[in-house]
Amino acid sequence: MTSVSTNPGGRSAPSTEGRFARIWRRNGAGYLFLLPWLVGFLGLTLGPTLASLYLSFTDYDLLTSPRWSGLKNYEYAAFYDRRLGKAIEVTFTYVLWSVPLKLTVALLLAMVLDRSVRGVAFYRATFYLPSLLGASVAIAVLWRQLFGADGLINQLLFFVTGIQGPAWITHPDYALSTLIVLAIWQFGSPMIIFLAGLRQVPQDLYEAASMDGASGWRQFWKITLPLLAPVIFFNLVLQTIEAFKAFTQAYIVSGGLGGPVDSTMFYSLYLYLEAFANFRMGYASALAWILLVIIAIFTAIAFGTSKYWVYYEDEQR
Amino acid sequence: MKALNESRATKVRRQVLRHFVLGFASILMIYPLLWMVMSSFKPDELIFSDPTALPTSFDLTSYFQGWFTFRESFTTFYMNSFIIAFFAVVGNLMACSMTAYAFARLEFRGRKIWFVLMLGTLMLPYHVTLVPQYVLFLKLGWVNTFLPLIVPKFLAVDAFFIFLMVQFFRGIPREIDEAAIMDGCGPWRIYWKIMLPLSTPVMATAAIFSFIWTYDDFLGPLIYLNDMSQYTVPLALRAFVDSSGGESLYGELFAMSTLSLVPVFIVFLAFQRLIIRGVALGALKR
Repeated sequence: MTSVSTNPGGRSAPSTEGRFARIWRRNGAGYLFLLPWLVGFLGLTLGPTLASLYLSFTDYDLLTSPRWSGLKNYEYAAFYDRRLGKAIEVTFTYVLWSVPLKLTVALLLAMVLDRSVRGVAFYRATFYLPSLLGASVAIAVLWRQLFGADGLINQLLFFVTGIQGPAWITHPDYALSTLIVLAIWQFGSPMIIFLAGLRQVPQDLYEAASMDGASGWRQFWKITLPLLAPVIFFNLVLQTIEAFKAFTQAYIVSGGLGGPVDSTMFYSLYLYLEAFANFRMGYASALAWILLVIIAIFTAIAFGTSKYWVYYEDEQR
Repeated sequence: MKALNESRATKVRRQVLRHFVLGFASILMIYPLLWMVMSSFKPDELIFSDPTALPTSFDLTSYFQGWFTFRESFTTFYMNSFIIAFFAVVGNLMACSMTAYAFARLEFRGRKIWFVLMLGTLMLPYHVTLVPQYVLFLKLGWVNTFLPLIVPKFLAVDAFFIFLMVQFFRGIPREIDEAAIMDGCGPWRIYWKIMLPLSTPVMATAAIFSFIWTYDDFLGPLIYLNDMSQYTVPLALRAFVDSSGGESLYGELFAMSTLSLVPVFIVFLAFQRLIIRGVALGALKR
């Protein structure tokens, strides 16, 4: 029906269709398909993002309309909020312990599992299962009991060593470490990514290295690790961001309060409590933006340093 | 000859060592889950007394009592969970595939900018939109309904799935849709009759993960669902933790926790290969 104007430029053809119709013909289908996402992006992502930036400069308790308070929220966060300091300390401790340990275990087992072992599929499934189930409330509930005063861990500890272990979950010195263990327990998904990466390492490199008498240790440092660097980088960034966002496990294990003595007060949990228990919506928005900046800084550091240690195969050295 | 024998012996030794390490790790990984399942069949007083013993009998009391612990039974909680998960899966598949099709195949003004913005939302932590979204849904009167948990899925807010599908659609040879255009197919028919049928692997992966993530979601229901008749399974389990200050509900707690893992476990058994490939794919197609 519009065959007249299909010639490029369309200038010589008499304009049988109006300007609007032409714009519609060129873009209409695309925007129709994009429409749901566009509504969601503007209404549920971009709009709320701007709104939360605005709210972060206000006092807002949901009942009365937001009152502009300038930088007060940020000042309070930076200089006065002791609990926030604790939350940041707890979260950083969690991130800096759980991510490296999780990735180390994942890489080690991926290497043991690589290729030649019989029953790879079984082991892979077994190791991955906790990653799939681990995000659930049920597992967090289980963890509370595992590390409880009479839980499985203490039963085994007593059985093997005769020592009566502490109540890990309710002890301020140990509660966070149970959550770190829970994170490490879910090493399966980075392990699968490592396995996929290991498959791409050419085997003849190892054969050549063996011929030259390089030890397994040397092969690991000189072949496996450098060639795996992009995958390690990917896992590192992904797991770090995930760890910063952790919420459910801390909520359940601490019974929703981040205790004992704020020792499991994850950043996300603190933000949730400020927003939905204390109804300080303005302050919670400021906390969200501070977290965004923290994550952005971590990501920037990762990307910034990556050129010194991550080489991609198609890259000239 | 001797060297060959030696290397063979070390190979065998290495294999044995590997299986030892792997077997030990497997037990370590699975034992907590086994403990939970076994405990769910035991009477309360035996749960914390013996870590190893198998239950002497399969006592289903905890399951029965757990199911009816609260004012509402777990029938309600499972119905709620499955209703929300069902609509989330349908919404995600429809909206994300439409968006992905637009980005992968259609020409329109501003496509590049929108695409970059879409990728940007991948990096945005959910915390930033949490409060304003809540205010929005509160003003709309949607709090204490399923709508805040379902409607966003129909608006393709899970950019991860869009990204996954764009990658897949780009891998489908363009000749196929060019031939269809020659035959007079419009974009809608190409999307519906060609792209979707050719994309079953990625659609299945997206369906599986959106089911699991929605079913496991805790923060969303925690914020938006206040009334027990609206509770999902994770919220109901949380109610156990709150109320188990009295030491009497452990059996029920274990039974209902075990049961709540069954749907995800079944999905895992049925689609293991797809799931594992999906996880690996996330990495290799950066």
